Amino acid sequence: MLQLLCKLASRSPWIYRINAGSCNGCDVEMATTALIPRYDVERLGCKYCGSPRHADVVLISGPLTLRVRDKVLRVYNEIPHPKVTVAVGVCPVSGGCFRDGYSVGADIDHYIPLDVIVPGCPPRPQAIMEGILKAVEVWRARLEESVCCHS
Amino acid sequence: MTNVLTGILTNSLQAVFAMLIFPGGLFVLALGLFLKGVDRKVLARLQRRVGPPLYQPVLDILKLATKETLIPDTANEGAFQLAPVLGLTGMLVTAALLPIGGVWNGVTGLGDLLILLYLLPIPAMGLMLAGGSSSSPYGALGFSREMCMMFAYEMPLIASFLAVAVRVGGAGGSGGSLLSLPAIMDYQYLHGPLLFDPVMLPAALALLLFIPGTMGSGLFDIPEAEPEVIEGPLLEYSGPLLAAFHLMSAVKLVVVLELAVALFFPNPLVATGDGGVMVNLLWHICKCLVLLMVSVTCFRAATGRLRLDQGFSFFVKYTSPLALASLGLAFLLR
Ligand code: SF4
Repeated sequence: MLQLLCKLASRSPWIYRINAGSCNGCDVEMATTALIPRYDVERLGCKYCGSPRHADVVLISGPLTLRVRDKVLRVYNEIPHPKVTVAVGVCPVSGGCFRDGYSVGADIDHYIPLDVIVPGCPPRPQAIMEGILKAVEVWRARLEESVCCHS
Repeated sequence: MTNVLTGILTNSLQAVFAMLIFPGGLFVLALGLFLKGVDRKVLARLQRRVGPPLYQPVLDILKLATKETLIPDTANEGAFQLAPVLGLTGMLVTAALLPIGGVWNGVTGLGDLLILLYLLPIPAMGLMLAGGSSSSPYGALGFSREMCMMFAYEMPLIASFLAVAVRVGGAGGSGGSLLSLPAIMDYQYLHGPLLFDPVMLPAALALLLFIPGTMGSGLFDIPEAEPEVIEGPLLEYSGPLLAAFHLMSAVKLVVVLELAVALFFPNPLVATGDGGVMVNLLWHICKCLVLLMVSVTCFRAATGRLRLDQGFSFFVKYTSPLALASLGLAFLLR
């Protein structure tokens, strides 16, 4: 019964985007390419939501610059459990072309656990969608864990 | 004495059934979620997308039920939790009061337009309470926007209610007005639906514009505008409380559609008895679907969002005069 609930629930992943100082390339790919009719993610039940409190899947882009670091962490903590993170682009993983820059501290995964990584600079929309699908699988496992622990 | 007692007992049993199962409660929740699903699917098809499955709203509710509930430190906890419950229960009660043509005549003595006028703003009140108590600046913005829009769209609603009441009351020969919803429906069974009455056409149009106004769709997606005030009052909500808000909006959708159907086109397809009730129920759902397509889905697909002041003056300048014109004509032709 609970398993079924988790299975059904995991078909409604709501997506939230965090821009951690990206060059906007990844954001354009996420915002415009992945939601236009051609690659409609709503058919997977996804919905872009404006508030971190509604989110299940978090897409992070950018190298986590020093300036936004605390704010990003604060927003990340406001997302209710269970949640999964997807790193979009090479920036969150290694800093990408901003690596060793004066404004970039440590990589994101020193602060936030990254569950799925979609490499590319910027990645193709298909890759982002595959990343979301992978993230949903991780999320389902977490959902089962949390629902079964509560009961 | 016993007669009176059994009378009261059956009446209250009937009322409880009406509120919990049909036409309030379960039925209205299911219908509301179905209508929401149809809305999303058709919108996607209009935009040449595949769109989510029809039962997506149900999945969303299930998902939200499994999530954690977070309450901001600075929020007023009691009011924050009360808001969605207030809105949802208010709407469920309202749904139980609405008669369905050829299926259900409403709880005796309660299907009254004045009561509906008091009950209809409850979801907006819930949202305002939510925005005000969540202590977020966006919530407060959503609160003020919601309140502004409420003042704007209540006016055509009241005017078209009155127009219908005066028209029906005047035709009854008494020269007064009639506020009872079942009586209004009886009038339409006899004289044909008010939708085809030329005098009432402007009022019907005004009500057609009231629906997207109160549902916050298309031009009037102002209080919960996602890119502007990031869903306004709902910003701080998560988990089951957010699910309650989504259910509230689904039930509210059914309520406003059913109300418009009852006021302007309640006529059943066939006589009741021998399964006629089922046919009439399906007919009623069809009417709701058509109205949904016209006033919410296509409207939403075809229009963008107005600014708050534009939305407000739209209702004051165009919608209210329509309803008032009907009211004036109904008065003159009594
Ligand atoms: S991965 Fe490339 S496109 Fe994406 S934010 Fe970094 S530099 Fe920009």
